[in-house]
Parts: sequence; structure tokens; C-alpha cells
Amino acid sequence: MLKVEKLESGYGSMQVLWGPDLEVKAGSITSLLGPNGAGKSTLLWTILGTVTPTNGKVYFEGQDVTDLPAHKKVNLGLTMVPEGKNLFKEMTVFDNLSMGAYRKEAQEVKQENLELVYSMFPILAERKDQLAGSLSGGQQQMVTIGRALMTKPKFIMMDEPSQGLAPKLIMEIFQTIVKMKEEIGLTILLVEQNAAASLGAADYVYVMHEGSIKAEGTPDEIKGSDEIKEAYLGM
Amino acid sequence: MKNTEKYLPVIPVLVAYAALLAYGVLIPGKWQIASQLAFYCALGQAFNLFMGMTGYVDFGYVAFLGVGSYGMALPIYHLSDKGLGLWLIVIGIFLAAVFSFILSLAVGAVALRLRGAYFAIATIGVNEGFRFLIEGARIWNGSEGLLFFLHMRTAFGKQTATAISNYWADGMVFAVAIVAAIMTLIYMRNKVGYALTALREDEDAAKVMGINVTKYKITAFITSAVLAGILGATAWSLKYSYVYPSDVFEIHYTVEAIINVLLGGAGTLLGPLVGGIIYGVSKYFLAIILPGFQLLIFAPVIIAIIVLFPEGTVGMLKKKVIGTPLEKYII
Repeated sequence: MLKVEKLESGYGSMQVLWGPDLEVKAGSITSLLGPNGAGKSTLLWTILGTVTPTNGKVYFEGQDVTDLPAHKKVNLGLTMVPEGKNLFKEMTVFDNLSMGAYRKEAQEVKQENLELVYSMFPILAERKDQLAGSLSGGQQQMVTIGRALMTKPKFIMMDEPSQGLAPKLIMEIFQTIVKMKEEIGLTILLVEQNAAASLGAADYVYVMHEGSIKAEGTPDEIKGSDEIKEAYLGM
Repeated sequence: MKNTEKYLPVIPVLVAYAALLAYGVLIPGKWQIASQLAFYCALGQAFNLFMGMTGYVDFGYVAFLGVGSYGMALPIYHLSDKGLGLWLIVIGIFLAAVFSFILSLAVGAVALRLRGAYFAIATIGVNEGFRFLIEGARIWNGSEGLLFFLHMRTAFGKQTATAISNYWADGMVFAVAIVAAIMTLIYMRNKVGYALTALREDEDAAKVMGINVTKYKITAFITSAVLAGILGATAWSLKYSYVYPSDVFEIHYTVEAIINVLLGGAGTLLGPLVGGIIYGVSKYFLAIILPGFQLLIFAPVIIAIIVLFPEGTVGMLKKKVIGTPLEKYII
């Protein structure tokens, strides 16, 4: 579904991505692991188009989308759950979710999607008139994920969805991600620092370090390699 | 929300401007202060359309008023003997809009690529740059400016020219303020407004929802700039019959616009109106009571208001009226 070829990008004169290759198969959870500063978030922002690629290609469903601006990629069904709960804190939960249905195609199926989000996160239905900023950390993360689902995506990139959450909530978030794949049929590219949980949920894993892919394989292969675990994952 | 209900907040705005107009017209000797207040309101109202809704602070904002005032001055200065009569004013307003449109497109295309504080820094020099360009390259008479008092008399006749300077120009300032307020409400209640609110709160999040943030930022920027251009054309050129580059590119007016918006509440509809009146009235009376000390007193007053009500007076009011019938009217 998504293919990245020798992508390069960075900020100003500082190059961050050094040509990683990556492929995400339709209907899978692909996990991107790696230490701080490996360039995982930059890779996601470059795929989306907010960070401009200087070299390389991004293909989405076979189409070359390298130079497409972010909002047009969202129109194709690609979206992202940014790191650190990028919520509209001064808006209610309901308004946050409605903002997700901003584009026309999503507006048409808003009610349907809203019911889907509420069925996945019943607590959000209860709190729909509350200001998003007043929710707990876990609930805010649910709103962010819900808002992404409201754009009617086929493909979601998630940047550290478990960051800053209590262990019990981390489990819940990972269960939700698996549900998103199995029940809604979404394709997910997951960036995580929590290697253990991530290896449990993923179908395929890439290990990133210093801006390029150092290893890849099924979760079992990665778990089986002490070398990779020690060098990059700190396990 | 029903369509009529969406636009109810326009009522308090219209009532307030009608009251201000009535105060100026009905009480002898108050026209000048009423029109001065209307100028602050219009300035805030137009500035708020961009700054309030996007959270971007344009420090070069006065440049739009400046080029707008030239847009009005040039046709009167050069074409006064062509017998165009009042059409000159129409041409002037049109030119003011065109000048500010072009300038905002140029500034926006460059500066709107930057975020937050970087945008503010990038725009800080626009007005000064334009002033030096006009003075240095001696465009439009350079630093001598354009004086067209006599041209106004040739074009419109003595009586009409006086009436334009004393009344009509001020009336048009009221009109600009009202139009700016209505534009703000229309934006707020439509897709543009939702997009702008989203990008003000979090630009990256807005992008991942498929919002073309650049398009909406530049739409708001240009609208705000064109209103400023027309304001400069009416409140300055038509009223005073002269334009000096050192006056019309004075950063002081940008600062006043920021103060008006912050006092009233950025991103609210009524805010610039309330802020403009608070600012205008206190400036006027402080200048009478303690001439020479008004700035010394004014600065701490502004700091106090901003510390006590960070959301501005209307922002605070808006929170107070949630759940009451007034909720529909105050935004």
C-alpha cells in the first residue's frame, strides 16, 4: 500500500533521513522501531509531506505521491496521528471529532464514522461535550485516534501513541490498534519506543537508526536476533 | 445550528456601532472623538480577522494602511482636473484595495511559510522597508509626500471637499469597521473559520485532517490586508488630504491594532470593538487629565488587563455567558 524508496530529508542543512527503504502491505500493522533521534518521526512527516523530501520517492497505492502536499494526501486516504496529543484543547470532544470530518468525502459519512469512534471509545460518547483539554492523558489519546478515524482513512501513521501513558492504558491503546486493523481493515504504520508491546502487535518490523533502516523482519525474527535487540532496541 | 441563528452575533455589533454613530451625530462636538473611536475599532476589527483567527501576529500590518492611503491619494493628486467628480473616491478605494491586495500577496507568499514568532519577525520590517523604498527611490513624491488639499477642492468643489474630510471619510470608517465585523462572522461560521481555528490551535493536526492550511491562512491574510488598505484610504487620505510616508508607515499603528485586539479578546467578534473603545477612551481622557504622562500610565494599565484577563474582556465575557440566553449573541 505504501512504499518508500531511498527517501532523504532534513531540516535546513541538517540531513536526518539517509535513504531508508520501507514497504507497508495493505491490511497490516508495520512497526518502526528505533532509539531517540533515529529519524522515525521525521520519516512520517516526510511521507505526509510536511517535511519536504530532498530525494527519493513515496508511492501510495502505486501512485507517486512524493511531491503531493499534505492535505491532498489526506484526500487519498492517508493520515497521521501526531505525537504528543495534538488536540484542539479549547474545543469539545465532539468538535474535535467533527474537525476530523473536515473534507467533503469524510463529511458525507460523518455520522457513520462518529458511531464507529464512539463504539471503539465509549468514554468519548459520555464526554462529548467536555473540553478536550480537560480529559485525562489516555482519553486525549483516544480523541486523537478518533479524530484520525473521522477522516475516513485507509492508512494511518501513528507516532508514539503510547507515549506518556500508564502501563494499563498502553495495553488498551495497543488493543485498539489491533482492532483498527482487524475490525475496520485499516493499514497502520506504527512508530514506537515501546519495543516489547510493539513487537506483540506488529506483522512486520523495521528497525531504524541514524536515519536509515538497519534491520527488518517479522517480529519473531527480530526477537530471535540478540544482536539487533542489543544494538538498537535495548532489550 | 440554523442559518439565522448562526448570524445572531451580528446584532450586538450593529447595535454598538449604531450607538457610537448616534453619540457622534446627536451630541454636538462629539463627532471627532466618535470617529476616532470608530477608527480604533475598525483597525482592530480588520487586524483581528487575521491575527485573532490564526494566531499569527503581523508586525508590518500598518504597511497595508500605508499603501491603501496612497491608493486614494494618487488618483486625487493626479486626476483632480479630469472632471471625474466623486468617481475619484470610487477609483481611490478600488486602488487602495488593489495595492494592499498585491502587497499582502507578496508578503504572504514569503512570510506565511514561517510559523509563529518567525512570521512576526519576518513581517517586522515590511512597513519600514516600504517607507525607505518610497523615500529613497523617490516614488510618489518620495519623502515630501502628497498634499492634495487643493486638488480635493478642484475635484469636488470647496463645500463637498470640506464635507468629505469632516464627515464622509469618518462615515466610511464606520462602514469599514462594520464590513470587517461581518466578514469576520461569515468566516467564523463557515469552513474557513473552522480551518483557521484548527490551525491556530495546532497547525500539524490541522494538516493531518486534510486542511489546506496555506490556502486559508492566505485568504484571511489578504482579506484583513484589503480592509486595512481601504481603512488607510478613508481614515487618513480622505480625512487629512495629505500622505507622508513617515506617517503612514509608522509602526505605532500596528502596535495599537495589537493592543485593541488583545484588550478585547483575540479571535472574538466583539473583542476589537470593545478593545478599540477601551483603548480610545482611555487614551483620550488620559491625555486630558495627565497630558504628557498618558503613556506612563497606559502601559501598566494594559499589562494589568492582559494579566488579569488573558483572553481579553470579551473572551472572559464569553465564558461567563455560556449556558445563558446571551450565549447566542456574544462570540
